[in-house]
Amino acid sequence: MSTGEAVTFWILVWPALVGAIGMVLARNAIHSALWLVLTMLSIGVFYVLQSAPFIGMAQIIVYTGAIMMLFLFVLMLVGRDASDSLIETLRGQRVAAVLLGIGFAAMVGTGVYRAMDNVTPAGLEQANAQGNVEGIARLLFTKYVFAFEVTSALLITAAVGAMVLAHKERRKGEKRGQPETMRARFYPGNYPGPKPGPGVYATSDSVATPGRLPDGTLTDRSISKILPVRELTSSESAPKGTEK
Amino acid sequence: MEDLSLPKIDYAAVAPMLILFGVACVGVLFEGVLPKAARRVTQLVLALLGLVAALSVIVWQSDTRVLTAGGAVAIDGPTLFLQGAIIVLGIMALLLIGDRAMEHGGAFVAQAAITVGSEADRKQAVKEQGATEVYPLTVFAIAGMLLFVAANDLLTMFVALEVFSLPLYLLCALARRRRLLSQEAALKYFLLGAYASAFFLFGVALVYGFAGGVEFGTIHDSVTESTQSTVLLYAGLAMIAIGLLFKAAAAPFHVWTPDVYQGAPTPITGLMAACTKVAAFGGLLRVLYVGFDGVAWDYTPILGVVAVLTMLIGAVLAVTQTDIKRLLAYSSIANAGYLLVGVLALSKDGLSSTMFYLVAYGFTVIAAFGVVTLVRDADGEATHLSRWAGLGRRSPLYAGIFTFILLAFAGIPLTSGFIAKFAVFGAALDSGEAWLVVFGVVTSMLLAFPYLRVVVMMWLSEPGESTPTVSIPGGLTAAALVIGVVATLVLGVAPAPLLDLTTSAADFVR
Amino acid sequence: MHDTVEYAHASGLLSSVWLLIAIPLASAAILLLLGKRADKWGHWLGVASVGVSFVLGLTYFFQLRGLDNRAVELSLFDYIEVGSLHVDFGLLFDPLSAVFVLLITGVGSLIHLYAVGYMEHDAGRRRFFGYFNLFVAAMLLLVLGNNFVMLYIGWEGVGLASYLLISFWVERPSAATAGKKAFLMNRVGDAGFAIAIFLMFAQLGTTQYDEVFNGIGAVASGTVLIMGLLLLLGATGKSGQFPLQAWLPDAMEGPTPVSALIHAATMVTAGVYLIARSNPIFTANETLQTVVVSVGALTLLIGCIIGCAKDDIKRVLAWSTVSQIGYMFLGVGLGGAAYALAIVHLLAHGFFKAGLFLGAGSVMHGMHDQTDIRRFGGLWRYMRITWATFGLAWLAIIGLPPLSGFFSKEPIIVAAYEREGWTAWLFGTAALIGAGVTAFYMTRLFVLTFHGPKRWTEDIDHPHESPPVMTVPLVLLAVGSVAAGGLMASSVPDWLVPALGDHSGEEVHAVMSHGLITALSIVVTLLGAGLAYALFRNGTALQEQPAGPVVTAARRNLYADAFNEAVFEKPGIFLTRALVFLDNRGIDGLVNGLAAAVGGGSSRLRRLQTGFVRSYAMSMLTGALLVVAAFLALQLGWLA
Repeated sequence: MSTGEAVTFWILVWPALVGAIGMVLARNAIHSALWLVLTMLSIGVFYVLQSAPFIGMAQIIVYTGAIMMLFLFVLMLVGRDASDSLIETLRGQRVAAVLLGIGFAAMVGTGVYRAMDNVTPAGLEQANAQGNVEGIARLLFTKYVFAFEVTSALLITAAVGAMVLAHKERRKGEKRGQPETMRARFYPGNYPGPKPGPGVYATSDSVATPGRLPDGTLTDRSISKILPVRELTSSESAPKGTEK
Repeated sequence: MEDLSLPKIDYAAVAPMLILFGVACVGVLFEGVLPKAARRVTQLVLALLGLVAALSVIVWQSDTRVLTAGGAVAIDGPTLFLQGAIIVLGIMALLLIGDRAMEHGGAFVAQAAITVGSEADRKQAVKEQGATEVYPLTVFAIAGMLLFVAANDLLTMFVALEVFSLPLYLLCALARRRRLLSQEAALKYFLLGAYASAFFLFGVALVYGFAGGVEFGTIHDSVTESTQSTVLLYAGLAMIAIGLLFKAAAAPFHVWTPDVYQGAPTPITGLMAACTKVAAFGGLLRVLYVGFDGVAWDYTPILGVVAVLTMLIGAVLAVTQTDIKRLLAYSSIANAGYLLVGVLALSKDGLSSTMFYLVAYGFTVIAAFGVVTLVRDADGEATHLSRWAGLGRRSPLYAGIFTFILLAFAGIPLTSGFIAKFAVFGAALDSGEAWLVVFGVVTSMLLAFPYLRVVVMMWLSEPGESTPTVSIPGGLTAAALVIGVVATLVLGVAPAPLLDLTTSAADFVR
Repeated sequence: MHDTVEYAHASGLLSSVWLLIAIPLASAAILLLLGKRADKWGHWLGVASVGVSFVLGLTYFFQLRGLDNRAVELSLFDYIEVGSLHVDFGLLFDPLSAVFVLLITGVGSLIHLYAVGYMEHDAGRRRFFGYFNLFVAAMLLLVLGNNFVMLYIGWEGVGLASYLLISFWVERPSAATAGKKAFLMNRVGDAGFAIAIFLMFAQLGTTQYDEVFNGIGAVASGTVLIMGLLLLLGATGKSGQFPLQAWLPDAMEGPTPVSALIHAATMVTAGVYLIARSNPIFTANETLQTVVVSVGALTLLIGCIIGCAKDDIKRVLAWSTVSQIGYMFLGVGLGGAAYALAIVHLLAHGFFKAGLFLGAGSVMHGMHDQTDIRRFGGLWRYMRITWATFGLAWLAIIGLPPLSGFFSKEPIIVAAYEREGWTAWLFGTAALIGAGVTAFYMTRLFVLTFHGPKRWTEDIDHPHESPPVMTVPLVLLAVGSVAAGGLMASSVPDWLVPALGDHSGEEVHAVMSHGLITALSIVVTLLGAGLAYALFRNGTALQEQPAGPVVTAARRNLYADAFNEAVFEKPGIFLTRALVFLDNRGIDGLVNGLAAAVGGGSSRLRRLQTGFVRSYAMSMLTGALLVVAAFLALQLGWLA
């Protein structure tokens, strides 16, 4: 390892590790995804350091750039109202899982570390003789051509699978037209107007404070579902006089 | 820069896979262009034709012994035999998948995206035809299995593993009845399958570090020649074995099996129990016999312990099951143990007897799940064991068939199960693995108990109010049942031709 | 050293010997597959098929007598051929299988005939005959195979048929439990037998009788011992011998013809057949023979002691079967000339025990299925034929000359006294005491059932004799009980020479003179019978009386059940529970998952669902950790 390589490695190894652990520990799915981005970026740099610029770039552009962003889009679109319960119901599960995980990592880690003692790297120049990208292309289109082509089956399956699991066919007449939508809007029991904003007629400006309806009652509909409902003190919840 | 040239590919030898991949792609295309009413028949015929065509090519190519596609694919005796087995069993499973006589619209849900339990869901459960995407997905899975048993390097093997697993995950989620259970099963299978794949991949990386290549030939040579630390070799082999044992449903990597077998649509359970088992053991055989035979002495005791554990867990837990599909799942786990005994014989006899076992078991297990699809009440299949009481009075023919199947599982003589067990145990004993045989015999005696309990329940109880009816099977299911039962009988009475075939096929090319 | 075994190829009439098996098998198939359509005539087909087999068996028997080499082999086809494994689907018709064929089909047809009457009012009569024929076919295959695998096939077949027939009246929970118990204990034995066969393969590369017997001399003595012990384990399981004796009396829950045919006359003697058939293996190792003798002596004592304490007519007979088979094991264990004596006793036992069971069935038939002998008494006036035939069989089993039991049992006692050293006293005296106790409890049974005051339950006013279809077999069996012993004692040992070896020239010395032993055995028999008559002439108490430790132990089957429970069942249950505990997250999860799915509580389901995947993943990780650790330990040389 050259000095530059070592320095970069020791700098980036921490974000990579912290990102990985953060991804597992974060409660918020978006935070998890962002932690993962951090790890993937660091790993991408490691690849480049190891004279594999193509895969390093692919890691950054495809995984971090495309896949993780797509992932974040989906999370944002779905919204994170549906928060997962993080209460552990199985006794001893977490402790055991952590111990086993550490044990496995330690065992394989020590094993590989010892095995890699006194190993001289070989064949790197040969592999990259005509350039890194060309070298990979050579393998993909000669030795592993069959596996490479078969990967397309995987992609087709994935696409078909996404369609089968997520696509709902709408028949004629199932889709609601404008007249029906309007009728439903003004149907008794529905509230046709826009939702009140939070804090309206309230003592507090906080978005966590529910707004009041014209009749003076609090409405939960005015606050986002992901916010914890704030308990109001009695003075806060009391109707406010207009004059002192 | 020199020109790249495509490695020589023996297209005739890989034609079965190409045909099936092609057929699956055409099937996907048909989904887009054909009107709904025409899809099912077209897809079924197309898939069956594809499988038959692939099978004929295999028969035609039966003397081929080549490494092709740059050494990534090995077409040799075991490959051709196992590919043929997968296709024949796949045809049977496809017949079950295609049958719509027992239930309106077949065993599959029409639109998996509709929320479970909603009004639309109730409507589609009784009215709509099942999704036809299952046919191309099944063909994709079978094609992936063909590649899996032929893969001659770990990378191709991994890609093939994913190619056949992904469609199976999807198919598991598409049951028409008890959809939550089915989706739960699919998700479990997917998550744990991904977990096992990660182990496999990690193992491949370590072995690459040891051998400097992923081809089995290179690995075989490097076992004696490599100067790298053997930690890489052993840790790598261990993790590759874990990945494969997961698919083979060996303990302690069997945990998914009962839930997934129970939740999946029954025809898919049959497909998994028969074809996936053939593929998983085909891959395991090639890895252990071709790549790592140099360290056979080292891994035999460890995998032997796994085999014993598998047989014990399968046999003991089968005793307490109350659901017929779970019972069959545990029986399939125990059978994985017996197959491992055959694999660990590590001899030509071991190879041939394991292959025989795979085929014998495959025929029987698909027929078993075929019968399970027949026993139904208003809510679909009645799988709770108590519901099977008195079935013999209600439908002697199907209860008789199921009895025969169970006797075959129990290894009662004159069924294929007896010959298969006899062959693998004999091979293991020849190789000096007496302890495995002792455990094998003892657990198979134990395992006979839950089977016979079902037999007695079916025949000797009076049918009650809750005894479900046995539907008249449609032509397709009937065909699959006949194939399965006849094969079980013939392989039990006159196994010599197939045994000869497995013996003559039992030579890997390296 | 044993002589070389050689079998001739079957030719002429004998090449159709497979018909013996095929006919009952075809009949079973017809009965079971035709369903209700065969209800009217099915039972007669069942009887006829066994009858035809008997006639055929007789024909083959006389054919065989005319041959020089009285052992013919018929290879039907190659059954298994994998690498070095080769198994023939072949039959062997030699003197030993011939006598078994005649016993099975002869006694079998009588019992089939009897069952027509006995099962008359049972809705499942056709099915019963189907299973019954299946049993006969499997039993014939067992004795006719020419290798151990064929024997094993028949062995499994009779086990299966026996299980189905014991559980035939499944509505009775006790019948279901008994079926289960029989099945499990048999599996223990079967496992031993199967492993013995594999051991044979590993050592000799074959299971053909001739090749095994000719090659056994070259096998290490320790291996022969293990092989023999495993075969013995199989034999004890099937024959209800110590330590696997407990299932046989429980098996009496099945219909009485089943008890008579399977659990008295034929199937339970399969263990004796197995040992007699593999006599070269057992002769090759002296320790082995001692073990067999000990098993036999111990079981015969256990059987007759427990027999004294039982009050259920069929249970007493069952324990007496256990005890009598103990005599046969004693015989085959003694080796040499005693092999033939054991077979003679087996044949004679087949007649008189079948007669006793059918007689018991006839009594039960007339007494509303009452089985408690304390509730019988004075029946001789009401069922004269049953009384007479039962009486003859009783005299035969206690071994009073000149009935058959005397000619078959007494030589075994003599042979036991012919052993060397102190073991002669031990085993001989055990056999002698057994004879006395047998006389005691059988007389008790007979006197309490047919004589003394009536102790019937209120609902019985006039017991009736059974119809002729049941009494005719009784009479025929009684004739056999009287005559068979004397006829067979002289002729059968000679006849069996090709299968069991010629021992007529061997010099043996008993520790007492032959005449003295005979006299002693008659005296203890008379003593036992007289004592029982004196005690039970006036009936017995209707309730179980408080008793000392010996009788209590005997009532509890000498604590064999408790022992089994502690040694076999408890660890089994524990193992199951432990595994269930490990797996319960999956199972519970499923149950909960199902409930949630049915109830539509999807949020709860989702929570459960992830929960279980993570526990699955953890058990996989544990497994992975262990597997990788094992491999690495190997690499560091810890395991290598």
